[in-house]
Amino acid sequence: MEKELNVVGARLPMMDAAQKVKGTALFTDDLILPGMLFGKILRSPVPHAKILNIDTSRAEKLPGVKGVVTGRDIPDRKYGIVPMAKDEYALAKDKVRYIGDDVAAVCAIDPEIAEEAVELIKVDYEELPAVFDPLEAKREGAPEIHAGIKNNTSFAIRKEFGDVRKAFAECDAIFEDTFYSQPVNHAPLEPHAALAQFDPLNGELTIWSSTQIPFFLRRNLSNTLQIPESKVRVVKPKVGGGFGQKIDLYAKDFCAAWFAIQLGKPVKFVYEREEVFISTRQRHPMYITVKTGMKKDGIILAQKFQAHADGGAYNSTAPTMIALSCYFLMIPYRVPNLIYEGYHVYTNKPVGGAMRGHGIPQARFAVERQLDMIAERLGLDAAEVRIKNSIHAGEPHPAKFIINTCGFSDSVKKAADAIGWKEKRGKLPLGRGVGLAGASFPSGVSNMSHISSGAVVQLGRDGAVNVLSGAADIGQGAETVISQIVAEELGVPIEDIRITAADTGITPLDPGTFGSGVTVRAGNAARLAVISVKQKLFNFIADKLEANVADLVAKDRNIFVKGSPEKGMTLSEALKSYQYADLPMPIVGRGSWMAPATEPTTLFKEDGNFAPSYSFMTQAAEVDVDLHTGKVKLLRMVTAHDCGRAINPMLVEGQLEGSVVGGMGQALYEDVIVEKGQVMNPSFLDYGFPTFLEMPEIEAIEVETDDPIGPFGAKEAGEGTQLSPAPAIVNAIYDAIGVNFMELPITPEKILDALEEKKNRKNSRSDQCISHC
Amino acid sequence: MRLPKFEYFAPKSLKEAVSILQNEPSAKILAGGTDLLVNMKHKVECPPAIVNIKGINDLDYIKQDNAAVRIGALTTLKHIYMTSLIQEKLPVLAEAASTVGSYHHQTMGTLAGNLCQQNRCKFFNQSQWWRSARPTCFKAGGQICHVVNKKEICYSSYCGDVAPALLALNAKILVTGHKDSREILLEDLFSGDGKAPLNLNPGEILAEIIIALEEMDGVSSYIKFANRESIDFPIVGTAFWASMENKEYRVAFTAADRKPLRAHQVEAFMNGKNLSENILDEASALAAKEAKPIKTSVYSTTYKRRLMGLLLKSTVSEAMRRAKS
Amino acid sequence: MKQAIELNINGDTHEILVSPNNTLLEVLRDKLGLMGTKRGCDLGACGACTVLINGDAYLSCIMLAVDAIGKEILTIEGLDEGGDLHPLQRSFVENGGLQCGFCTPGMILTAKAILGEEKHPTEEVIKRKMAGNLCRCTGYKKIFEAVMSVTEQSGKEF
Repeated sequence: MEKELNVVGARLPMMDAAQKVKGTALFTDDLILPGMLFGKILRSPVPHAKILNIDTSRAEKLPGVKGVVTGRDIPDRKYGIVPMAKDEYALAKDKVRYIGDDVAAVCAIDPEIAEEAVELIKVDYEELPAVFDPLEAKREGAPEIHAGIKNNTSFAIRKEFGDVRKAFAECDAIFEDTFYSQPVNHAPLEPHAALAQFDPLNGELTIWSSTQIPFFLRRNLSNTLQIPESKVRVVKPKVGGGFGQKIDLYAKDFCAAWFAIQLGKPVKFVYEREEVFISTRQRHPMYITVKTGMKKDGIILAQKFQAHADGGAYNSTAPTMIALSCYFLMIPYRVPNLIYEGYHVYTNKPVGGAMRGHGIPQARFAVERQLDMIAERLGLDAAEVRIKNSIHAGEPHPAKFIINTCGFSDSVKKAADAIGWKEKRGKLPLGRGVGLAGASFPSGVSNMSHISSGAVVQLGRDGAVNVLSGAADIGQGAETVISQIVAEELGVPIEDIRITAADTGITPLDPGTFGSGVTVRAGNAARLAVISVKQKLFNFIADKLEANVADLVAKDRNIFVKGSPEKGMTLSEALKSYQYADLPMPIVGRGSWMAPATEPTTLFKEDGNFAPSYSFMTQAAEVDVDLHTGKVKLLRMVTAHDCGRAINPMLVEGQLEGSVVGGMGQALYEDVIVEKGQVMNPSFLDYGFPTFLEMPEIEAIEVETDDPIGPFGAKEAGEGTQLSPAPAIVNAIYDAIGVNFMELPITPEKILDALEEKKNRKNSRSDQCISHC
Repeated sequence: MRLPKFEYFAPKSLKEAVSILQNEPSAKILAGGTDLLVNMKHKVECPPAIVNIKGINDLDYIKQDNAAVRIGALTTLKHIYMTSLIQEKLPVLAEAASTVGSYHHQTMGTLAGNLCQQNRCKFFNQSQWWRSARPTCFKAGGQICHVVNKKEICYSSYCGDVAPALLALNAKILVTGHKDSREILLEDLFSGDGKAPLNLNPGEILAEIIIALEEMDGVSSYIKFANRESIDFPIVGTAFWASMENKEYRVAFTAADRKPLRAHQVEAFMNGKNLSENILDEASALAAKEAKPIKTSVYSTTYKRRLMGLLLKSTVSEAMRRAKS
Repeated sequence: MKQAIELNINGDTHEILVSPNNTLLEVLRDKLGLMGTKRGCDLGACGACTVLINGDAYLSCIMLAVDAIGKEILTIEGLDEGGDLHPLQRSFVENGGLQCGFCTPGMILTAKAILGEEKHPTEEVIKRKMAGNLCRCTGYKKIFEAVMSVTEQSGKEF
């Protein structure tokens, strides 16, 4: 581990914190351009229908309306966040596939007129039979949602690792259980927005968008609008949270650009909260059946896993999601023999997409619940079973993952100790319980579709450091973390750093906030850029100091010979003499970074090392179940997270705490309720994610390892923590009341029903263990 | 989401307000706005005119005379629960007011506004576009109910928190109209018709809430059960008041029926009895029968019924605890 | 019909042409460019649009602009004085009580309203009164600590 770090490891406030507390931080909807027009999208009120005709004449005639666009006007170009899964038009062309599908858009001189105008568009639909459940949608004879997609199954994956049949035959006990994980909305506080402007002379489109991935948006806009990528500039203003929902291109992006080009005026689209709930993305609902075979001592020998993901009307990240769900069964536990079957099935419902954990939380819920159920039946300690099955750094992995560092078993021990596992598990009074659950997550994704990141660092005569990065800060503090890395490497305080991030017209390529890799990818790129700057400066200084370049260090705005601080000069003096030596200024360093990759893999088609490193974590929960009302209060959550070295512990804690409360929402409060294809609770009031009063006591424990690939040993911290709070909580509920819940969320009503049922048929719980050999 | 257009009036006196309402019978009264303006954004209420009565000076008070505690219509919920007289002598009211929505709603919302809030339904409290996926329901001016397939009846539920507390206190209200004012039981304000939940004539304004002084001799409690501890409407709310020496009890529920429900049958059963566990079990079973919860929210009616019984017991035990201390 | 009204915002009088159906939020953002007040749900259920009206926390998305005539409106832009951050703002910065920053102005103004009512509110009171302000990033913990740390500083008036 690197010693004596000054800026890395410091609890620094976010660099833009003052702007945020003053209300001067500008989000997309806060931007105003002269002559700006306002757009609004017309959405389908039917779940599945052919579009027979769209009459826009009344809308066009409304005074103040400047333009109307429908699917028939736009290029015949489908888009999708994953190239192999493109199945969506910015505006529906021939048919609509869910209530909320994008049908047409208007553009007017003010938002009020735009709202009025969309209501004047008349659409004739020929309704088609609709299907709302993936298991039904997969059956023969179910309505076909996308032409040519058999059984509505757009992606199916079947993978086998090891010899599963043989392994099951060697097991002492085999268990099979079925679980369900509900749809969850990301619900970022900032509704999605876009503002576009077009320059007719050079043909350049500029779009400000609440996006997590400016460069993907550029690619998708270029493709759907049929203009060159070089003519699309995506600028990312402040983004008010994303959690995966702001990865995709949406109709608001396309339509803002479309109208800006057609009308020559800036155009802004802002979604209503209801649109965020219905017409963006959500965590996939999933049915999961897991069969696990074990030895008596709790060692997992084999697993068979079947997942049906309810994809809703379109693919979005389907193949990646279903692959992640599969491969991350083999981490953090050693599962030497595994059969995985995963299906992404279309339904006439809101669309599933990446959300914090991306296909893994659902799988973790099933596995972590089942591990507890098995441990109980085999009379083993649930924490011990996890430690026993933990993978370790350096060992071979069935899917060829390369595990450089692994703090998993450590995280189990620390979380268990902190929650008081030994004293509490199975020993608390009825209604109180503790539970835990583990997980692992990729820290940065290596090599799907050329995921590399660039940075430019400029050092001026005055010592000011100017960083250009394509990293997309969506509120997690990426700009601050990258600046800390730059400051540390250059030996200056963070005040000297100025960062410009995420403007595809200015900043280098970056895959954005996705796959929990910003710190690793953009951080490494920035570090390389600084090293390049230092090289130039050190080459010059070394002569002056009569020292070897390799012996020079930069620290506290000084450059000196390692071990002899007196032999050196200030950075300011160094820059002055550099300039007076007639060397060109500013000193510019560039860095590009991509994770070391053996074989390129998206995992969907081939195995391979998906990420440069992996984070590991354990959540431990203590709950109180009100036996009268069925309400569960999460009293305390411990989260022990191996995030390598924390670049900024305050921000890491913030990530862990926010993730835990989100996970609690998934366990106890949140559900996108759909009746006949219609979302019944598309509002903050009715969706009901946790408030201040639901907040548990949270203890975040950092399990530090020193990752060889992440900058200064860092690994991901933002996403993995949301994988296992739900199973930890539900495991704690079992400890509290002795009921095994298999479906999320655990509402008070379900608790009461279960308690009643338990009372009614005491001691007649069917043993789900299939065979004891 | 924009508000529909309307004509705006800001009268300075009750008299002026009443006369505007006489001329504009379809006008809506605006006080805190936390219910009306949300409904207007959803375009389930599109009144041609809004009469903002907040500029009327003498409607914000809590005063006690030798007969009653009188609370002005415009008294905010926050003012109510932060007033020590209410906290100490009428805790059921303080508790109910302090559980409404969030702190912001309590700051903005008024007592009369809270009482006069619209009924709620999962098919009604939605945007215009959302509702366009189905034929217009009774409550929004159409010909159908999506919850119960019976003609001519709107089953929307009353979900206010404060009404059951005031029902348990046997409160009266002063209604001011064009010609005169009338004092009626609060219970008679609620029609039980989901489509038009209030028995107010055009041009009438709820001006004052009156709680008889002897109510302060009783013990009381309100318990709300909701998904979250803030912001949400109740899944069920229960208010209880008791005069221990007379063994007289009052029970009221919210979010369990088309109006806030004074559970007379439950009361008749309980009155004169010591509230043993058996008696409470029977009372709880009765309570579940007396209300007619309908699935107007995402919560099941069996669950609501079960909660009514549970909450009745909890409010009783809380009130008993208070009686002892 | 549009009408000219005067609103007192952050100590200044603004003359604005509004329609009665304009919310205060629309006027602050669209007519006056005071973008610190955020539109999170537009239906009074998230607190992002919180402003102070005569010191009380109001949801500006469900308040008519014409209803604010004659009242003192404080938005986040009016909180810091003389270029220095307000103690609450400073505390949010130092305690990491923010991530994306979208809920932050509303959080800070609600906290100010609470501290205006009682100088040393209990933890329970702070949680209860802040609970109308939603945050999806932080899990609330550091926001809570930021507010608590201000109440713990003695002798400050808000």
